[in-house]
Amino acid sequence: MDIAPDADLENFRKEVAEFLDTAPTPEIREAGRKTTSLFPAFEQVMAWQRILHARGWAAPAWPIEHGGPGWSVEQRYIFADEYQKRGLPPLLPNGLQMVGPLLMELGTPEQQARYLPGILSGEDYWTQGYSEPGSGSDLASLSCSAAPDGDDYLLNGSKIWTSHAHLANRMFMLVRTSSEGRKQQGITFLLLDRMDYPGMEVRPIIGLDGEPEQCEVFFTDVRVPQSGRVGAENDGWSVAKQLLTHERGGSAQSPMLRHRLGAAREAAARTPSAFGGTLAEDPVFRRDLGELEVEIASYEHFEKLALSGHEIAQDPAFPSLNKVMSSELTQRISVLMTRVAGLDALPDQREALHVGAPVDPLGDDLALVAMPYYLNSRATTIYAGTNEVQRDLIARTLRH
Amino acid sequence: MNFSFTEEQDLLRASVSQYLQRHYTFEDRQAVVRSKAGWSHEVWRGLGELGLHALPFPEEAGGLGGSIVDVVATAELFGAHLVVEPYVASVMLAGTALAAVPEHADTAHRLERIVAGEAIGAFAHEEGSGMPDPALVATRAERTANGYVLTGEKKMVLHGADADILVVSARLHGEPGDPDGLALFVVDPPTAGIAATPFVTVDGRRAAHLRFDDAELASDALLTADAHDVIMKVLDRAIVALAAESVGSMGELLHRTAEYASTREQFGVPIGTFQAVAHRLADMKIAYVKARSTLLYTAALAEAEQAEPHDLAVLKAQVGRLGRVIGESAIQTHGGVGMTDELPIGHLHKRILAVDAMFGATDHHLRTVGAGRPEPQPASRAG
Repeated sequence: MDIAPDADLENFRKEVAEFLDTAPTPEIREAGRKTTSLFPAFEQVMAWQRILHARGWAAPAWPIEHGGPGWSVEQRYIFADEYQKRGLPPLLPNGLQMVGPLLMELGTPEQQARYLPGILSGEDYWTQGYSEPGSGSDLASLSCSAAPDGDDYLLNGSKIWTSHAHLANRMFMLVRTSSEGRKQQGITFLLLDRMDYPGMEVRPIIGLDGEPEQCEVFFTDVRVPQSGRVGAENDGWSVAKQLLTHERGGSAQSPMLRHRLGAAREAAARTPSAFGGTLAEDPVFRRDLGELEVEIASYEHFEKLALSGHEIAQDPAFPSLNKVMSSELTQRISVLMTRVAGLDALPDQREALHVGAPVDPLGDDLALVAMPYYLNSRATTIYAGTNEVQRDLIARTLRH
Repeated sequence: MNFSFTEEQDLLRASVSQYLQRHYTFEDRQAVVRSKAGWSHEVWRGLGELGLHALPFPEEAGGLGGSIVDVVATAELFGAHLVVEPYVASVMLAGTALAAVPEHADTAHRLERIVAGEAIGAFAHEEGSGMPDPALVATRAERTANGYVLTGEKKMVLHGADADILVVSARLHGEPGDPDGLALFVVDPPTAGIAATPFVTVDGRRAAHLRFDDAELASDALLTADAHDVIMKVLDRAIVALAAESVGSMGELLHRTAEYASTREQFGVPIGTFQAVAHRLADMKIAYVKARSTLLYTAALAEAEQAEPHDLAVLKAQVGRLGRVIGESAIQTHGGVGMTDELPIGHLHKRILAVDAMFGATDHHLRTVGAGRPEPQPASRAG
């Protein structure tokens, strides 16, 4: 074993820290402070992506040949750590972490050349069309259809939980191209170049946190070119499974969890306890904080083992283990945040949460984000395969 | 970063594993536990021949110069096979304490005997608070004309009644709570004034409460009069070794329970196909992966001498919490047979519980972690 960071990495950390200290505008920092989900304020986070892209750092995990920095796993972890320490808004994942890496693996050279540069620069922004009203955990039962018509497909049906579809200009989706055989066999993976094809309608859905983060998308005889297909017709299920490994794994989550925990601890040290002293000194709170910290620590250790190439990452259950752990810790930290905020979590501060809002927030930063973050985080154990489905998958790998 | 065992460590694990599979089946182990001595000299010799007694000691003390990661690599297997031989007491506790005071005239030959497997050491330190902090020691050592007189009680001393060499912590001055004034003594029992109440622990180990009633020790029994840091070092290493044992037991429980759920049929199908059972198994796996990740990470920290008390508290708390989840789930999944003494399931769980109780249980370490990581102390001198 070897845990010692080498001198080069310390220099790298300094270089990253200096950039992250100076490059973000005040609006970008504000968007970071006001982030309550995977999706920070759109305008500011896209501006931030352009700044990072100019430095070559928009996609830490991308290889050099596709415009990434070609960093080692240690470098990526350091970058994530320094990034989270400053509470900067996370870049939107749909393009950079999901469809981008998928195209690198399974896209044609034409598709790569056409789509990857726009994903990296932030010129294009993608939404994911997987779930349907009747197909959630049982995704393979999806029915939104694509009928071949010359060089095109004609799409009919609908998609739901398409995050940010109202802001996106492109979409990747699963469609049914055959009803023969097993339900998994008639699915095709498709890229849409536009979100405003005739016959397409996007309807935002207001979430528990009051924000239109999710959408429903309706298709009525929408004509799209077949050249947007990734992989073979009717082979979309294996493409989708490949993409899920990116969605469920990929980047380091523990720095974000650590950052949130640290912020909650600091806020608790300023919060009086009804039993005297501060909340941070209260033995019950302290024990609960300890329990969450040891859990986050174990997840961090798990992540670092995996990033360093330990055999733990070869476990067939790895993506599911990672998804269950990170999502449940996200929820637990969000609960702790609402506990620290107490009554201050109750005012509906939707307006103050917008970047550049003309109203001042009530209470401190933690009080501002605690409740919407808590509410939004209920989705973490639902999206990308519910944690029930993930536990089924983990258990399947244990069967003899 | 690299958290994998080296090729040498993998080879060592393979030979220890092979030895235990051949000579230490669960039935063999149960026979050993029921024997008069409660542990097997033959197995102890066998483990010695594999180099395990000498493994963690420096070469100048006759050891193999192994690291804490070598200890972890083998202790995991001890946990999986429920080895009751006195590895923790003799090698990790008494041996480490003796090796920490090499300047003392009488430690070398005693350590040599431990390394050779000729003598068993025990470490009489805990006094019943369940907290590992050496400052809590209340046992007194009074200086006399001929040496020292010890008065006090020590609890749950592993091999306290059958050890050949006893290392004892006691207070030369100050009150419990004071980190100064602590000393370590070495005694070769039997000694007048030391009364042992021996017992067998729930996990099949030999241990004893020790009572010191004006026990007279010679002057040269004093190992060090500045013992706080030595005791901490001994405890820190023992915590890592015990955690590795516990994780080894967890892995065995997971493996056996997954196997059982795949073969045991009710309602005409394997019980593992029921979602309630499947999800319990998934949670066992999640718990195991967390515990093992933290074990390996902390072992790497300890090897690099970067493990702070906070890191060890994280490890000990996680092993306690997650081990309980795994053990209790394993019993539940096995149903009635999980309640029987003849299956290893309950014995593996008992080992996990015993490890949790020693050197600070989960609650103690969670409160330590919850208090926050202390600010790094400024270096005392430049360079």
